[in-house]
Amino acid sequence: MNAQYGKVFSDIKNGLLDWRMWGRLGWQETVRRYRRTTIGPFWTTLSLGIFVATLGLVWAQLWKQDPKAYLPFLTAGMLAWGLFQSIVTEGCLVFTGASALITSMQISYTTLSCAVVWRNVLVLFHNIIILVIVILYTGSSVTWYSLLAIPGVLLISINGVWLGLLLGAICARFRDTQQIIASILQVSMFVTPIFWSPEQLGSRRNAFVNYNVLYHFVDILRAPLLGKVPEDLSYHVVLGVTVIGWVLTVFVLSRFRRRIPYWL
Amino acid sequence: MAALILDRVTIDFPIYDSQKTFRSALRAATGGLITRDARTPKRVTVRALDDISLTLKDGDRLGLIGHNGAGKSTLLRVCAQVYEPTQGRVFSEGKISPLFNAAPGLDPDDTGYENIMTCALLMGMTRSEIVHKTPDIAEFSGLGEYLFLPVRTYSSGMLTRLSFSIATAIDPEILILDEGLGTGDAQFAEQAKQRVDALIARSSILILASHSDALIQSMCNKAILLQSGRIVREGPVQDVLDAYHGLPRIS
Repeated sequence: MNAQYGKVFSDIKNGLLDWRMWGRLGWQETVRRYRRTTIGPFWTTLSLGIFVATLGLVWAQLWKQDPKAYLPFLTAGMLAWGLFQSIVTEGCLVFTGASALITSMQISYTTLSCAVVWRNVLVLFHNIIILVIVILYTGSSVTWYSLLAIPGVLLISINGVWLGLLLGAICARFRDTQQIIASILQVSMFVTPIFWSPEQLGSRRNAFVNYNVLYHFVDILRAPLLGKVPEDLSYHVVLGVTVIGWVLTVFVLSRFRRRIPYWL
Repeated sequence: MAALILDRVTIDFPIYDSQKTFRSALRAATGGLITRDARTPKRVTVRALDDISLTLKDGDRLGLIGHNGAGKSTLLRVCAQVYEPTQGRVFSEGKISPLFNAAPGLDPDDTGYENIMTCALLMGMTRSEIVHKTPDIAEFSGLGEYLFLPVRTYSSGMLTRLSFSIATAIDPEILILDEGLGTGDAQFAEQAKQRVDALIARSSILILASHSDALIQSMCNKAILLQSGRIVREGPVQDVLDAYHGLPRIS
């Protein structure tokens, strides 16, 4: 059993340190999206832009919000949510998607998970253009607090790596899980304050906001993108989830890591 | 100094969602032993390898011979440390370079040159080493201008040449080949043999699975015959090949 823990720790250490490898894998995946299309990954950006511009204006009317405040809020929220959601959904495919690689050579699983996270961070960099346009259009302010977006992305990424390892393993064994997670995420997008602000809930705020882990993951990136400081509670929750998630992942991997190639 | 030791290795593949009829069909097709897991009687497993022990050291070039489904590819993957054995242990020393159908990590949409970089990185080379060795890989592959094209436009023979060139460029101490040379033409097979000979001369191990007697005879200096996941014969190449041809087909 101890030997298995040792293997898990060396997998994680080697995987994280091998940034050349996951950097290359994630980068090539992004480059491939440019092939034979004119704007490649910017299609995602464009559709996000259209989504924000049209629905943002409609919802601002519907909920009687000031579009100049609502548009940046919606855009920043969608950026943060999009990063988290795509890391989780693609994280489910870490092992099944790389089955050819895993069954042909020994490779650190953490490297594969990092590649997925990195590729989605690159997509975020594409999408940030929308926020820049919205900020210029609405004249919102950028402050020093905006720099907190960097630790925000880092925290989401660090969690993305364990999420990919854990969910990837579960989805490799139980193929239904991926669909279940995709459905849950889809519903969560509406339940989590992304389209509406926590203040609108009033006294029922606790259930959907404070107890909602996803809200805190969104908040640590959305607030800095809007030039604000995230809530202390958000950092506490995210850090707590980081620790618990990694401990759980190490435990699960130590028991099942060696079985993963057999599941593919 | 390279070494590869398998100590009483057994591999059981779990088969999920298999119907009863499928199970009997599988028994006929694979020649593997299909059993029910003792603890969870509902789970079906295929015993792909059964109590395999092997000791390979510098200069050993082992040929794996056996019918389809005898366990050759599984054994290669155990040697490549892809599958951790269900029972038994594997010990290896030296850089392992596996080459199955294509080089690991090969992406059809990337160009030949991009794939050289990605695959060689995966095999543990550094970026500057790869840049240094790329002309050599390109020349040996003989693909010339095709290396600027996406790999999906290659014929299977061209893919073999590229994969083989990458896999042998990293100076592997243990080279694992699965029919990898089957699709290359005669001229390439001759070049490949020279390259593997040069590799072996630098003291390493080759494990090759093939149905081609000529290939095994020219490349290997010992062989094992696998049947239903067990070693039924091991020794000099010719002895084992004779035993293989005397083997009754699995009905």
